[in-house]
Formats: sequence, C-alpha cells, structure tokens
Amino acid sequence: MTPRPLHTDLGAAIEQIPFTASDGTELGLCRVAAKGDDSERPAVLVLHGLTASADMFLLPETRNLVDVLLDAGYEPWLLDWRGSCRLPYNEGRVRYTFDDVALYDIPEAVSLIRERIDGRPLLVVAHCIGAMCLSLSMAAGLVPGLAGVVAQGVFLTPKMSWKTRVRLHFGGELLRSRLVNIPTDFKKVGLWSKYSLLYAEVSLGAECKDPTCQILHNDSWGVGGSLFEHDNLDVRTHDRLAELYGTVPMWILPHLRSIELAHTMMRFNDGDGRYDALPKNALDNAGKIEAPLMLLSGSDNRFWYDSNKLCHEVLSSRYPDMDVRYVEVPGYGHLDTFIGRNAALDVFGHIVDFLDECRAVHTGV
Amino acid sequence: MAAAIATRAARFLPATSADPETDLFDAGLSSVDAVELVALMARELDVRVSLDDVFADARPRRLAQRWATAAGLPTQSSAPTGAAPAVRDAPADVVHEDLDMILADLALADRLPWSRQADPVPPRRILLTGATGFLGSHLLLDLLRQGDAHVVCLVRAADDEAAERRLGEALASFDQPWSAEVRRRVTAYAADLRQPRLGLTEDRWDSLAREVDSIVNVAAAVDFLRGYPSLRQTNVLGPLHLAQLAMTGRPKPLHHISSVAVFNEVGIEKMGEDDPVAHVDRLFAGYDKSKWAAEAALRRAREHGLTVTFLRPGAIGGHTRTGVYNPRDLSTGLIGAFSRFRTVPAFKFMNLAPVDWISRVACRVCSLRSRLCPRTFRTTTNLTGRAETLPELVKDMKLAGMNVRIANWRDWRDDLLRRQETDPVPELDFLVRILRSPTAVKLFEALMFGPAAGADRTEAFLARHRLPAPERYGSQAQLKAFERMAEDGVARLPSREDPPYLSFRERMKGHVGPVGEAPDTRCRMAFTLSIASMYQVVRHRKVDVRGQVTCERLHPQPLTVVDGEIWVRPDEGVPRMHGSDHPLLRYRLLLQDRDGGRWWLEGWKTARARRDFWKQTRTLEITIGREGGPAALAGVVRVPGKSYVPDQIDGIQVDPRLSSQEQRLAKLAWLSWFFVQVGMGLAEPSLRAGAELLDLRRDAIDREKDKLQRKIRKLMIQREQIR
Repeated sequence: MTPRPLHTDLGAAIEQIPFTASDGTELGLCRVAAKGDDSERPAVLVLHGLTASADMFLLPETRNLVDVLLDAGYEPWLLDWRGSCRLPYNEGRVRYTFDDVALYDIPEAVSLIRERIDGRPLLVVAHCIGAMCLSLSMAAGLVPGLAGVVAQGVFLTPKMSWKTRVRLHFGGELLRSRLVNIPTDFKKVGLWSKYSLLYAEVSLGAECKDPTCQILHNDSWGVGGSLFEHDNLDVRTHDRLAELYGTVPMWILPHLRSIELAHTMMRFNDGDGRYDALPKNALDNAGKIEAPLMLLSGSDNRFWYDSNKLCHEVLSSRYPDMDVRYVEVPGYGHLDTFIGRNAALDVFGHIVDFLDECRAVHTGV
Repeated sequence: MAAAIATRAARFLPATSADPETDLFDAGLSSVDAVELVALMARELDVRVSLDDVFADARPRRLAQRWATAAGLPTQSSAPTGAAPAVRDAPADVVHEDLDMILADLALADRLPWSRQADPVPPRRILLTGATGFLGSHLLLDLLRQGDAHVVCLVRAADDEAAERRLGEALASFDQPWSAEVRRRVTAYAADLRQPRLGLTEDRWDSLAREVDSIVNVAAAVDFLRGYPSLRQTNVLGPLHLAQLAMTGRPKPLHHISSVAVFNEVGIEKMGEDDPVAHVDRLFAGYDKSKWAAEAALRRAREHGLTVTFLRPGAIGGHTRTGVYNPRDLSTGLIGAFSRFRTVPAFKFMNLAPVDWISRVACRVCSLRSRLCPRTFRTTTNLTGRAETLPELVKDMKLAGMNVRIANWRDWRDDLLRRQETDPVPELDFLVRILRSPTAVKLFEALMFGPAAGADRTEAFLARHRLPAPERYGSQAQLKAFERMAEDGVARLPSREDPPYLSFRERMKGHVGPVGEAPDTRCRMAFTLSIASMYQVVRHRKVDVRGQVTCERLHPQPLTVVDGEIWVRPDEGVPRMHGSDHPLLRYRLLLQDRDGGRWWLEGWKTARARRDFWKQTRTLEITIGREGGPAALAGVVRVPGKSYVPDQIDGIQVDPRLSSQEQRLAKLAWLSWFFVQVGMGLAEPSLRAGAELLDLRRDAIDREKDKLQRKIRKLMIQREQIR
C-alpha cells in the first residue's frame, strides 16, 4: 500500500520514507530536503489533523508551512498518521482509536526520524487531533527529548460549545449506528444516498454553495461547529477542500466523546494490556512534558473555541515550572491557521519565532 | 524674542535648536511639553501666552508677535513661507488668517503637473504613508494580506535603517506581526511628507514614480488642539506632495484617508459620501480645517488628471479581536470617562467603527483595479461603520451592570472638568484639554449633535465584494479594547472596592478537624457574596466574598474574611484529578483572627454523577491552613437547605441607586446566569456516565455485518426454493 501522492510542486525535494507501525499499519512519512547543506538544520515533524493529510502543509497555491520552514532553516518531516485522508483507513472497516496514534504512529515516527538526523534537534508542529494524540504520547513519556512543540487548536484540554457537545456526543450516536463513515467529498456521495439528509442539514443557512465547504464550514459534519473562516481561504484552496479533507470515521466517536466530556486527553482502551504504556489521563501526567510548549489558536476558532487558552491556564497553574505559552491569532478560525491564504504572514511567523527560540536554547547559542 | 522662545522650546525637542519659523509641534513638541513651555516662557522670559495660542500656531516668531500684540508693543509682520499670506495680528482675525492660508494652500494644487488617468493595473508595489500609526499599521498588514503586493512604507526617521526599526517597533506596539514573512514584503524608506519631494533623494523619487502602482496616504497629524498653521504641513502639503508623485511618471491612483471631520460644522444635516462638505468658515478646529483643505486641494488636483479616492473614517475604535486601541482617539477618552464617572453626554450619534473593519474595507478599496470598479475608484467612501446611538450605549452599559446616567452635554463637560480638578486622572488629560480648549470644544459639539454618516455607496461596495457589512461597535465588539483600556488605567472596571451591584448572604455550618482525622469541631460561616458588575461574573466567573468564619480550632473569636472570591466552574470544569467528578465552585479566602493571625481557606463544591444534586450544590469541602503554611484542618460545611432560598434568592440586595426596573434586571441577569452555570456543572458527570452507556451500543460496522449475513441467508433460501 502506498499513500496517495502528495499534491505539491516540490517534486524531487520530497523523499518518501517507507514506514510501517509496529501493529502492522502502513503509514506515510516524508522528508522535505532543503537546497544546499542540510547538516545543521533542525528537523521539524509536522502532524496533521483527523481526516486531513500532509497535503495541508504543502498547498502549492499559497505560501505554505513547508516553504516557510525551509526558508527559516529547518528540515520539515511530514507524517501521515492513520487518520490521514491519503491513507485508506478512514474509509475501511478496521477501527482504530487515538490510543493507537499516540502509542504507535507518533513515537515510532519520532524514533525513525531520530535515527536519520544524527542528534540534530527535533521539534514538532501539530494540529488539532494530531496535537491531542501528541499530548498523550508526551504524557506517557514516549517521545522524550523534543526541543519544542507547537500545538494548534487543541492540546490537553478539549472543549466544545454546548451545542456541538449535544449534537456530536448524543446526536452523533444516531449516525454512528447507521453510518460507518461520512465522506466530506460531495462528489463521492451523489445527490441521493444515505448521506443526503446530512448534506441537506449542513446546507441550511449556508452562504457558500459548495457542499464540501458547507459540511466543513457551515456546520461541521452536522455537529454545529465551523472549521475555518471562509474569507481566509484562497479560492483555489476552497475549491479543492475535498482533496484536503477526507472521510470521517464514525467509530472514533466514543473516544472523542469521552475525551471532550472529561475535558482532558484520555486513553480509551482500558482492559487492554497493549496500551498500558499510555496513562489513563494525560493531564494528570502532564508533569512528564519537558519540551517547551507553544499553544496556538485562532481567535475565532468555532470548533475547539478557546481550548488552548484554557490549557495554558490549567498547565501554568498546575505546573508552574512548565515552559508553556499561548498565542492567539486574531481573525483566524481552526484550519485556516495552516491553510489560510495569509497563514504565512499571520501564523507561521509566530511558529518560526518560537522554533528559533527553542533551537537557540537547545543548541546552547 | 522669537529666538529666545525658540531656544527655550529647543529644550523639549530632539534637535538641539529650533527655528523661529518652524512649528514646534512639527519639530516634535508634545501637548504635555506645550504646557511646560508656557510655564517656562512666563517664568524665564516673562512672556505670557495662553496654551491655546501655542496650539493655534506654534512658530516661535508668531508666539512672540502674539505676546507683543497683547502687550501693546510694536511688531513687524513676517511672511514665513511663500504659501502663507501676510499675517494679520489681531486675535479676532485668526479665522480670516486661517482662511487666507487655506486659500493659498489650495492654489498649490494648480502647480501640479498634468497627468492622464491612472492605469488599471492590479497594484504590485504600493506606497504607504503613516504605517507607524494606529490605522496605518493595520492597513499595512491588510494590504499584504490582500494579495502578493510589496509595500513601501515612508517613515519619518534619520535613515532607512532607523525607519525600518521604527516601523517594526510601531507594528509590535499595535500587536501586529513583524516576522521575517512580513519583512520580506515590506521596505521602509526614511522620508518626510512635509518636505518637497517627500524629503527623498531625486533618484529615489524617480524610482518610486516609476515603480509604484498605487499610493495610500494614511499619514496625518491628528491633534484637535493645534491650529491650522501648525497642521497644514503634514495634513495638506503632505497629500499634495504625494499627488505630485502620483502624477509624475506613470500615473497612479492616490488613496487618501480623509475624515468625516470635513463635515464637522455645528448643525450640518447630512454626511453622506456625496453630500457637500462643511463650509470651511464654519469649521473651528485646525484639524477639521486641515482635512477639509486636503480634500479640496486634491479635488482640485483631479482637474489636472489625478486619480484620487477619499476614504473617510469617523472615530476609530479598538480592534475587535486583539483589543489594541488608539489612546489618542477621542472615542477612547469618552469610553474612559463614561466608565469612570458613569455619566454620558446626550449625544445623537457616534460615528465609531473598529479599526479592523475600517482597515479591511479601506484596503479593498486601495487594491481595486480601476477598470473593474470605476464607481468606487474615483469617488468617496465613508468608513464610518454603523453609528452608535445613545439608547444603545445606555442599554449595553445597563446589561453589563455598569448603569449610566444621561446628562446634558454641557453639564456633563462641567462635571467632568470639576472631577478632573479635584481628582485628576492623567489618562484622561487629553480629553480634558479638548474640553477646555474653546476651539476644540466646537469640534466636540459638532460631534455630539452631528447626524449619522451616510454610507450607501460603501454598503453597496461591501455587498459587491462580499466584505462584512458594518456592524454596531457594541459592547461585545469593544470588550477586548475596553479591557485593555482598563488595564492601562484609561477606563475603569467596577471592582471589589465599589458599592456592590448586587449582594446576598450565604450561611454555612459543618465540622472540621485536623487533616486525616474525623472532623470534630463546629465551624460556621456567615458570608456576604457580592458582584461589582455583570461583566465580572460573565467574563471572569468570580464572586467577591466578605464575612466571618467561626471555628474554635482557629480562634475563640470569629475570624474576618480579609480577601476572598468564589470561582464558578473553575477551569471550565476540568476535573482536578482523574475521575468523573467535576468542580462546581471554588472558594479561596484569606482570614484574619482577632490577634492578627492569618489563615487561608480553600473550599470546593463538586458535581458528581449521583442523584443528590441539591446536596452537591450546597456542600463545600474545605481545607484551612496558616498563611504560607500547609493545610492543617479539613472538613465539610453545608448551606442549610432551609436558608438557601431566603438568603440567596429572595434575599438578593441590588444597588439601591438603580431604578426598580434596573434592580429587577440585575436580579434576573444574575440568577439566570448562575443557574445556567451550575446546571452545566452538575450535568457534566452525568453526561459522562450516560456516554459510557452509549459506548456499548453496536455501531454501523457491526450492524452491516448482521445485515450482510441476513442477506446471504435470504439468498441461500431463495436458491433452495428455486431448486
């Protein structure tokens, strides 16, 4: 199995690295090589969110995170963990939970990268569910020695609006027993199918006519959130949202629900010895997080709202010694912090400034 | 004498000497310096001029003349610049003097070169002035966001390096990004708008004339106290120099940020985009005149072929997301005064819009291609947003629990000036100076009674370009800015020290004992819980606590609560430790006994997935310890079921100064907010328990398997039947 090819104009600069997690799941990992000497470049592992893929950091139509990282002297590594839309798992019938991501995908990718970078510092930029899974790996102590971590949207303390809570946790139950997954691409669904009602529901009151945009922006998968600020996207990005965001697996709902209702990242698989390495509650074990942490959030995030602000408050009061900061990007929602047409101006500057700082501390400059 | 004044003034200026013909404000004098300069001149030179004289015309020679005229000494009139006419000396002639000067300045437009229409090209290289200002810094970023244009900023500085440094500092001070990503698309040139050729070298002037596709002029001296002679250099000659650049070489459009100040005539009826502007002889403040003159001069330049658009913001409010505000905007002073003194003048409309909206719309106008949008491209856009009205403001303040009284605007001014004398607030000085100045107060009066600016054309433009429609800059939108103002001491939020907005009693009793042992000693608490405003609870979810704690293990006499607060749903209900219990309320008190000993008390009310909700809301688990020490005592206290309703619902006391309707509103707002919060807190553990049950349900994969098996079975039966 090979992941769907990346949509990028970087061409040969991208080195695909075969990577199979130890539970047998084939994943995607690639390194973006810089022009010229790269022996001093710190590596940055970039983690996407659920149903997205490494493509969200490589948008050829705008100045993307990979461009900015390369120009700032870093070596980006892009992991497609099992929730990626470049991989077939979300559309399949084999269930997984975020525990698998935190236990296998992230720690094993980190050790693989470590083998390749010869002691250069490794930093992580993670988005949404990728960041949440990373927090569980970090609290379990599975990814020690990171030089710095940027978490966008949500980290240890997920929080949604009450409207979304009711619709996702309890309304979503109706969908979970009827649908294995929900495709985001309207072309895959067609006008008349078992998803038609859902697509009709998300179109209510929408200003944009594109059904894929409606299911992400107007009413995210029918749960009442909104994943980006419409005006922040480039028209070309908007028109290929279906390529960027794939099918949502419904079997993930119980884990997501238990995490959000508890407002803390938690292990789901309890009576399963394979997952004993993960703590039941990541927030209780946040003391193990040693990397400097930057929590990032758009001021208008209408999916996770101010989860990261809350996380910053909780971490700084419970762990006063922890190096954690919070940065809010005015006028941004959730996804547009990475795929927005001006993300380089408004968001990536903050990320690079933080990475530079971590890098200086790490190398003792 | 002029030289002597110039020498004294030079002490306040960055340069070592001052020219008797240069306006001191232009040379860098601040309003505060001006006050000191007046005192200094009186002390050292025995020259007595009023502060207004300095603001009206701060050229040292003119100051000397004024003083001499007032003292009855002979004077020689001077012609300081070719543009300015001979100056008459009688103070009553100041208006005519200004008008003469304006006429002379307008005539400068006739010296501009002839040019043809600007080319309809999308701007790839934009020249921006005023990027170090409040609006300019926001506009710079919006221009970058609009496309992939490169922006050249003209900044007043000694050299390019200093210009870039100053620009970076200004952007950072307004919470704008100044990262490598921004820097690679911005060039800063040292320049001075007031100088011919903008103070640039000929080469640079020529290259700008060749390369730039569009000019955006945001730079202006915004000071309501200074007179026209003091402001004309920046506000009138500056735009004319830019017009000259626009018409040199390839013609390019000039987008001029004007102001609704061009309408600032008392009694004006309409302020639409196409309505005639005020009569210049009825404008009083120098700022209004200078903005009027700039528009008039540029309109005249249109006859020479200049492509120019006017963008007229009103008052510019703080950013709706970051809360960055302009400390020198009149609206800032007003909001500060309203929140401090809780009185508002009876204004009609306030043309106030947030900076982010103004900047975004202005940017879109500046980035237009002329052929695509000819209607907007050569005309005027009012960036005034939706005007705020008095009833809306009063209602917002009422809902926030910061009720205000309305006063006639003159009474309001007198009251404000009186308060400022008895109890000065330095942050409001600039507002007070405006209210004291006889000319600036005219500007203020025009603002109080002016109509809402019309913006039909702007609204059509917004709809066409799918830009956000103007919304009222109401309490939600200005919340962040207001908080920043309160932090900086401009505005004031009600605090624990103020008379409470609403208060009620809470009595609790129970037992405490040493940590780890059975509670054995009776403990009673009698609190008064109060809030200073609804803002405090909705935004910070905190309630103030006063009262007494009686517990013999601490002290035989009751202990007083020195400081204390209750945090409702602390950390949004994140559990303190792993489990299904969620915190409901957190009490943190500092107690003092009669002998001066201090104790801390911490208490938690917790929601659990059990049916005794009534008990959960009343039970407080407490720990007590010496100040700075570990917990010594622990126990449980409870609000007796009988006292809850009489104390905490029926017994609510609202600030008696409020009207009965306001009192009912206060009670209702508090109770509904509090019960919703407690309801949400109580629901959380039960929701989790419920969700755990739902997890046991079979999902679609299981059901599909069954379905498939049933289908296969049916097919097999059919096959058997066919056989």
